[in-house]
Amino acid sequence: MKLTFSQGVGRPMAAGGSEPVPRGARSGTGRLAARLWRKGSIAGLVAYSLALGGLLGLASADWATSGGYPFGGVQVGAWTAWPRAGAASADPYTRAVNARRGEIPLAVGEGLLLTAASDDAGQALDATCTYRIGGGTPPARAWTLTVAGRGPRAPGRPALREGFTSTEVLRSADGRFAVVLAPDVQPGNWLPSPRASGPVRLALRLYDTPVAASVGSLDRSTIPAITRLGCAA
Amino acid sequence: MRRVTLRFVYATLVGLVLAGIVHVVAVLAIPALSEKDAVSRARASESLDHPQPIYTVATGDDPSPPEAWLPIPDPAVAVGVCAYDLADGPMRVSARTGPLSLSLAAHGRRGAFYAVTDQAAVRGALDLVILTRAQYDEALAEDDENDPSRDVRIVAPDTRGVVVVRVIAGLPSQRPAANAAVQAVSCTTDTPADEPPGKDPAAKDPAAKDPGARGAGR
Repeated sequence: MKLTFSQGVGRPMAAGGSEPVPRGARSGTGRLAARLWRKGSIAGLVAYSLALGGLLGLASADWATSGGYPFGGVQVGAWTAWPRAGAASADPYTRAVNARRGEIPLAVGEGLLLTAASDDAGQALDATCTYRIGGGTPPARAWTLTVAGRGPRAPGRPALREGFTSTEVLRSADGRFAVVLAPDVQPGNWLPSPRASGPVRLALRLYDTPVAASVGSLDRSTIPAITRLGCAA
Repeated sequence: MRRVTLRFVYATLVGLVLAGIVHVVAVLAIPALSEKDAVSRARASESLDHPQPIYTVATGDDPSPPEAWLPIPDPAVAVGVCAYDLADGPMRVSARTGPLSLSLAAHGRRGAFYAVTDQAAVRGALDLVILTRAQYDEALAEDDENDPSRDVRIVAPDTRGVVVVRVIAGLPSQRPAANAAVQAVSCTTDTPADEPPGKDPAAKDPAAKDPGARGAGR
């Protein structure tokens, strides 16, 4: 960009200098060209800075607020908790993301959202793989564990089940549970993959939980572990 | 040419600084300018007496209707919103507790400033009154000490906002009931004219002044 700009500005002067014109006229046009060049370059540079500032500023603002929340997550194992997403003290980026998506986040008194995009080993969750999501949950009146792909749901795929609630999940004798996220039918708590391939995300929503006010009390042992069991492909 | 290059570098630096300023201003302005945020989208429901359903959970073979504009809704939670404009008067939200857990959250443009669940209900009823500071002072002045009110009064940070009603359906068979429970909440504007004098909200609830342990704004 820098090169083309200086070339573009430099060309009229070079062309003016090489033209075979009478001597007196040449010095006149030369002066005029020099003055134009000085003025033009300053105006050009101002326009360039304004355009650069405007475009870069708007593009970066759009980029920072178009996806998920850029800040405010608390990493706990494979999960990320978003305690401040719905609070009035949320950071400006979170507020902008909520405003652009029309999202109504859970308030601190209502519950807590945790999301996961990778398993405990750090590998991204994939729709072709089988995962075991199991263990206990932090104290909460109710929770739901849901799965979603990125973007809209694939058409023509029957909506069998999108998630489990704390009421309907099958538990073992000690109260713990294990949900299996897999493309094929599984015994127990089977959560079908939402699409044939591609990345998937898990969301754990804890409703009416004291943890929302003190996310620091969360640790790996109190949240469900995400273990990869195998991949079809 | 050397001076030109220097000037060019200078212009680039100025452009980058401008970009930073534009970025910050744009991010701060998005919530105020957005027409897709919850408060703006819910404005249509201001005249309704009941929450506008924005996410009804799927029942049986009926999928969730397309009015849902929540980006990633919880498939087991029915959501409704009541928009308010305190310029018309204080907003009263009344809910009766049922078998399903219900929560109310008051959101302004900046985010949630109050949230309460049905566990805070007194004798099966949850009454929130959202008012401005001036309306709150007025209500305090009109309080009758012999007839204490059970209302929970919340001072809103700005005049426009929404109250979000969430009802959790723990089992698929509870889903129709969850959708109905959202609709059963009433959201009415208190106007001084139609308020019966005896039932005037009296001595304020201690929880009213302080959003307390369940307050969301922190």
